[in-house]
Amino acid sequence: MTTCKALESNTSSMIHRDHSHINLDHQPGLQLSQPAVKVENVHLDVQSGQQYLSILRGINWIIQPGNIQLLMGPSGSGKTCLLTILAGLLSPTRGKVYLLGQDITLMNRTQLAQFRLHHIGFIFQDFNLFPALTAAENIAIALQNKGVRGQLAQCEIQSLLERVGLEQQGHLKPRHLSGGQKQRVAIARALAGSPQLIMADEPTAALDSRSGHLVMELLRKLAKENGATVLMVTHDPRILDLADEVAHLEDGLLKAG
Amino acid sequence: MMIQTSTKLNSKFSFNVSLARRNLLEDIPRFLVAQAGIMFAVSLVTIQTGLQKGFTLSASKLIDQSRADIWVTAKNQVHLGLTTPLNLQQKKDAESVSGVRRAEGLIIQGAIWRTRGNSLSSVTLVGFDPNGTLFIPGTLQQGQLDTLTIPYTVFADLGSLPTLSLRKLGDGGLVGSLPAKLVGVTEGSQSLVLGNLLFTSLETATAYSQSPVTTKLPCEYAVEGLDCQAESGDYPLKPQPLTNENNINFILIESQPNQDLSDLRRRLESVLPNTRAYTREEMSQLTQSYWEKRSGIGYILGLGAVVGVVVGVVIVGQILYSSVSDHLKEFGTLKAMGASDWVLYRVILEQALWMGGLGYIPGMVLCAITASWTTATQGILILITPASAVTVLGITLLMCFTSAVFAIQKVTRVDPAIVFKE
Ligand SMILES: Nc1ncnc2c1ncn2[C@@H]1O[C@H](COP(=O)(O)OP(=O)(O)O)[C@@H](O)[C@H]1O
Ligand SMILES: [Mg+2]
Repeated sequence: MTTCKALESNTSSMIHRDHSHINLDHQPGLQLSQPAVKVENVHLDVQSGQQYLSILRGINWIIQPGNIQLLMGPSGSGKTCLLTILAGLLSPTRGKVYLLGQDITLMNRTQLAQFRLHHIGFIFQDFNLFPALTAAENIAIALQNKGVRGQLAQCEIQSLLERVGLEQQGHLKPRHLSGGQKQRVAIARALAGSPQLIMADEPTAALDSRSGHLVMELLRKLAKENGATVLMVTHDPRILDLADEVAHLEDGLLKAG
Repeated sequence: MMIQTSTKLNSKFSFNVSLARRNLLEDIPRFLVAQAGIMFAVSLVTIQTGLQKGFTLSASKLIDQSRADIWVTAKNQVHLGLTTPLNLQQKKDAESVSGVRRAEGLIIQGAIWRTRGNSLSSVTLVGFDPNGTLFIPGTLQQGQLDTLTIPYTVFADLGSLPTLSLRKLGDGGLVGSLPAKLVGVTEGSQSLVLGNLLFTSLETATAYSQSPVTTKLPCEYAVEGLDCQAESGDYPLKPQPLTNENNINFILIESQPNQDLSDLRRRLESVLPNTRAYTREEMSQLTQSYWEKRSGIGYILGLGAVVGVVVGVVIVGQILYSSVSDHLKEFGTLKAMGASDWVLYRVILEQALWMGGLGYIPGMVLCAITASWTTATQGILILITPASAVTVLGITLLMCFTSAVFAIQKVTRVDPAIVFKE
């Protein structure tokens, strides 16, 4: 039987993507050739009953690779809408979105799904774990979708469970895990296959402040290890200290710092 | 430490994760309802088609088990129980046709059976030559074929003994106003079409068919309130010997070895005007297709099978649809994570496949029990062959895939953006 170590050295480039083209240590002030996220003049109008609402009114935004980027703003300001657009799950009424240098507003449904599959990990407010599957299987299904199976998948699941501190809980179903543990499984699932982008919507909203902070600390640490860029929507000021950058959304417009 | 964790993981986690199977087993009551639904749909289809098969097969049983190469019938014969008579002269004529080794007459005719308690049931008289070789009255359970040469003796099928109020050899009843004594029991010749069969000699069958049912009974049969003839010997001790004018219904032909049967058939038809000569297979086919198509019974049983399939599709469809509705957020999450549509379809199809497979097995067990019980107690054949079992499995899986279409429609419409909505 091959050990995980041996497998890893053979196939590390398969599991852990080569991030050499991205500057791992964020150095403010240094001009990078390619932002992780670039948003140009994004507008979103929605129809609500008889009237049209302008939710986003010209967003311009650049997120540097490897950053932990927070997006804050009052409730109803359109944070979730913006995140949904950046994740390729909703088309803006107008404007351009570039992820890792690719214009996702030009992609069709299938191309978007492929892009999300390989480049974006998601973390949700309500965890969105599969309740019928164990913690390990929740991670396995993400890998399975990416075509990672067998011994290779086993090793990555094991390593992810260890990295989120749940090596003893892998066989448990979500209903037997605490909120913080569930979100850690979700983090492991989001990191499976090492995507370069992690997108999270209010990931601490369902957690108490202590475990919320601990879980986000963990996310920050693991994302930094992977060199992933994190875009996190939150209105939780207690995790401000974990951010590299903070943006505010108000009246459909972005206000830096 | 590393190795320890690794072995623990290996034993505890299955890494070919089936969301379908897990979601199915997560809700056991719903799963059981689905299984029950499929089980009954499977049973309905199997029993209806088994009845149809058993019914048509048993309808031609007397033909199939005969040793005749050719059956000669009246031109207007419709089926075994509905034909105009031939006569014994024609049987003799057939014997002289070149290529014929042997010809035997056969009478198949309805009659009324009267028990000792004076209750009635309808029977089909099957008169044949007990010393002949071409007609076989099923498998003999008790008795000797040649005892049928004794006047007024009959064989009956095991399955019809209770109806005829017969318990053992030597018991009897009346056909018309003539006595009948049970001297043998056969098995496996009963058919729904012809009802209770009474096998007897050509002479006795002829005598029975000419004997009217009267209000008078021999005293040994008499019950309270009915006239009784003091002498039970008021009927001829022996049936009349048969003459060339006597009627029969079919002529069974054995050909000389190496005969071209279609030539022989032509010769027989030209020597015997107004008759048809069929090979045994043709005659069997004709009878089966009559009962399958022209009688409407095949249609009714086929309709039952179709209803079974429809019920199955509706039940499985409903269960799959509600299962998908309950797991919409999970499907949305899968979509957001970038899973292709096919991954989602596979989850549903796999779920359908599991339900179908797991419903099929108890369904078939139920059918096997029902079929053997029905045959044992009702004498009705429900035929379940390996081929029909495989066919029903195919129908079941098809049924489940059809019902998956509704659920797939629903999943296709799931907007992955719901994952960010509270
Ligand atoms: N599809 C839609 N139709 C109508 N109104 C919408 C739609 N999506 C979002 N909205 C509205 O847009 C506003 C912004 O929503 P959202 O992005 O969820 O805000 P946030 O996440 O900042 O609380 C809200 O007022 C919401 O009601
Ligand atoms: Mg929101």
